[in-house]
Amino acid sequence: LRGKANPKRGVLWDPRAAREGPERLVPAQTTAPEEEESPSSPSPHFKDAPQSSPATGTPGSPKVPGEVCSTNQCRRSPIEEKVALLVYYLLYKYQVKEPITKADMLRNVIQIYKNHFHEILRKASEHLELVFGLDLKEMDPNRNTYVLINKLEQSCDARVNDNGGVPKTGLLMTVLGVIFTKGNRATEEEVWEVLNMMGLYDGIKNFIYGDPKKLITKDWVKEKYLEYRQVPNSDPPHYEFLWGPRAYAETSKMKVLEFVAKTHDTVPTAFPGWYEEALRDEEERARARVLAKASTAAMASARAKAIASSFSSPK
Amino acid sequence: MEEGRAERRRRTEAPSCTQGGARRAGIMTDVHRRFLQLLMTHGVLEERGVRRLQKHCYRVHGRTAAVEELEDFINNINSVLESLYIEIKKGATEDDGRPVYALVNLATTPVSKMASDFAENELDLFRKALELIIDSETGFASSTNILNLVDQLKGKKMRKKEAEQVLQKFVQNKWLIEKEGEFTLHSRAILEMEQYIRETYPDAVKTCNICHGLLIQGQSCETCGIRMHLPCVAKYFQSAPEPRCPHCNDYWPHEIPEVFNPDKEREAGTSKANKKPSRSRQH
Repeated sequence: LRGKANPKRGVLWDPRAAREGPERLVPAQTTAPEEEESPSSPSPHFKDAPQSSPATGTPGSPKVPGEVCSTNQCRRSPIEEKVALLVYYLLYKYQVKEPITKADMLRNVIQIYKNHFHEILRKASEHLELVFGLDLKEMDPNRNTYVLINKLEQSCDARVNDNGGVPKTGLLMTVLGVIFTKGNRATEEEVWEVLNMMGLYDGIKNFIYGDPKKLITKDWVKEKYLEYRQVPNSDPPHYEFLWGPRAYAETSKMKVLEFVAKTHDTVPTAFPGWYEEALRDEEERARARVLAKASTAAMASARAKAIASSFSSPK
Repeated sequence: MEEGRAERRRRTEAPSCTQGGARRAGIMTDVHRRFLQLLMTHGVLEERGVRRLQKHCYRVHGRTAAVEELEDFINNINSVLESLYIEIKKGATEDDGRPVYALVNLATTPVSKMASDFAENELDLFRKALELIIDSETGFASSTNILNLVDQLKGKKMRKKEAEQVLQKFVQNKWLIEKEGEFTLHSRAILEMEQYIRETYPDAVKTCNICHGLLIQGQSCETCGIRMHLPCVAKYFQSAPEPRCPHCNDYWPHEIPEVFNPDKEREAGTSKANKKPSRSRQH
């Protein structure tokens, strides 16, 4: 939603009217193909199609240029449109792990409805929570920055630093993936093998990542995402990578496995050994959370008892 | 019978407004939410992967619940997504008819959906590639032809070397497929952009004579020129001893591909990461 790329941004249409996708592999007993409805103009419009659903082939009634409502959409107000657009915008920001500012939202999405900002934001965050399990949290009330947190993985109180998470470059996830799938430690050669496949080479500056060697052996080590150390007793010295403490804190074996699976166009269960290990890790984390909760609760109750007793026995 | 289930699905789906969507959100559990999150990050996923993803989500978030039938599972989610103009859409790959699913954002033009991920000149490069692909006979545009248009791009000046990397980015993000130095649309792009493509290029766009869907790759009749998707050809001529054009009845000159059979794949244990494009370009 940068606004500069596509001049047709803002065209809204109801695709349910006439969508005949390639899924329909049988000789069509469909109604007339879609070309017969020639689109009139790029102005915002909805097709009038009350009964049709996404899979249907029936063309809707002819579009009325400029008409904003169709019978099943007539209750959608411009505010609700902005809510939908804000949801997409926030989802995009979530996927690239960038924090969101109020200014960004106003400029890119809300625009003329800025007096309704809070209403639109509230409705959008309701949708995000209900539908996607994502929580919109205010990161910095002074600077009006927000961040989306995955409720489904939230470890109640334990997680402190949610605003950054694992950085947006899938590169770090890739490296963490190599380390995990090589048994939680990967030799430098193994890591470079994978990076080479992505077009990153030792000593060659990349216009996105800069100096890859520096990134993985210095920057990310300093940020505690990775550990880079000499393989014990290696002569000539070989080096290996392990996960750093921050990687353990900000992501998990299961999340990294999901990432690895995705890059192989499959799902975590396709790798039973790693999946088992990731599941065990999830269980341990859950147990740790329960313990942390219990100890916090214990401390709280001890404190409460101390306060209560200090009241009951005046000094 | 697939037709029958689709019919039933159509009838049970009712239109809704935002309030209905919110009410229906009651059916969303963490299982559904996790599924949506993961599908979203994939962009597009084959049916087999979708089933496993569903099972994974039950494993992680809903151990006690019974695994819902995939079609109902997806329809339930879609009923909630309706008010947001988002949908889990089902399609098929053009080269071998594998069913694929994508989380499709319907409210904005899909090229502007990509707008979040790419710069202005990169989007224009995609648009140029898209136009070449749609205009081509085979549904493929050569790398050379795309790169030759680099000087015409809007936005910041892009060199050919950079453009090559941007094209690779499109491949990685599943907007384009590359085969032997030529590019065509990924099934994700077709799912997301079919409407946009039909509206933007109404004269250049090709459609399949069988399913009437957008056609990028396929076979065509040498006599009358009608075109069909490869999986549509497979299904249409499945048990025909002598394949003939459905339109002009002339002998169909191309090799008839096999109907995609997921069970056969499972037996063979083939990895689906690299689909082999043996018959993709026959015109």
